[in-house]
Amino acid sequence: MQGSESRLTPAGVALRAIIVGLTLVTGYIHSTLGGPLFSLNAVGYAVAALAMIVPLGIAIRYRGVVRLGLIAYAATTIVGWALMGPRYPTAYLAKADELLLIAVLAVDFVRADGNPLAYVRSVVGDALAFVGLRPAAAGSRA
Amino acid sequence: MKRSVLLAVASLAVAVSAAACGGANGAQSSPSATTDPGAPRIVAADLKFGPAPSVTAGTAFGLVFENRDGAPHNVAIASDGGFSSVVFRGDVVTGSTVTYQVPALAAGTYWFRCDVHPDMTGTLVAG
Repeated sequence: MQGSESRLTPAGVALRAIIVGLTLVTGYIHSTLGGPLFSLNAVGYAVAALAMIVPLGIAIRYRGVVRLGLIAYAATTIVGWALMGPRYPTAYLAKADELLLIAVLAVDFVRADGNPLAYVRSVVGDALAFVGLRPAAAGSRA
Repeated sequence: MKRSVLLAVASLAVAVSAAACGGANGAQSSPSATTDPGAPRIVAADLKFGPAPSVTAGTAFGLVFENRDGAPHNVAIASDGGFSSVVFRGDVVTGSTVTYQVPALAAGTYWFRCDVHPDMTGTLVAG
């Protein structure tokens, strides 16, 4: 199965460790900023970091979804800051962290899950099969 | 399964050490504080600004900004409530007191806010 963690290599483990580290660093920075928006953002990063490593079947099977979700989350945070965030050193540090996070996630995704479009098609197919709109395909994740 | 547990432990170890080394305040410069007791003062506490001071129009002045929060704040002053015409923007500081050198303001009402927390606002009058 694509994205299976049984194929984890030392490089894969290192990439995952870097991803979790970068995720927790930006989450920590946001947690120090005060206010509900930043606190929720920090919680989101913490949950994503956990989802990247939790050894549960469904999380392992859909780790690619977590990767894509975290890429989208970090990108949204960067865009939000670009539109209305303050320019000061800690903000630049957090944005650099998030840009690096997106890059490492992209590398990890291609290594573990292959072509993003094919992966998304496969996951959408699984979701449709799960809700009964399409028969489950052989080798399906669901 | 063993590999997954190893992965979890390795990831958490890296994350914790990275977070411990990279505090949010570490990269931020904090201007030195020289406070004149008579200078206009704005206090930030509990993610709110305290009462706003009045300032003298037409004269540059030192504005003491006391941030009592652990969260970073600054004071940005605009001539309109929509902050499209910012006339002064102070450095972001955390848990410290600084004196901003604000250029002379024409007589009138000004709006100020924290750029990090735009819902922290207040008004000051130059007269």
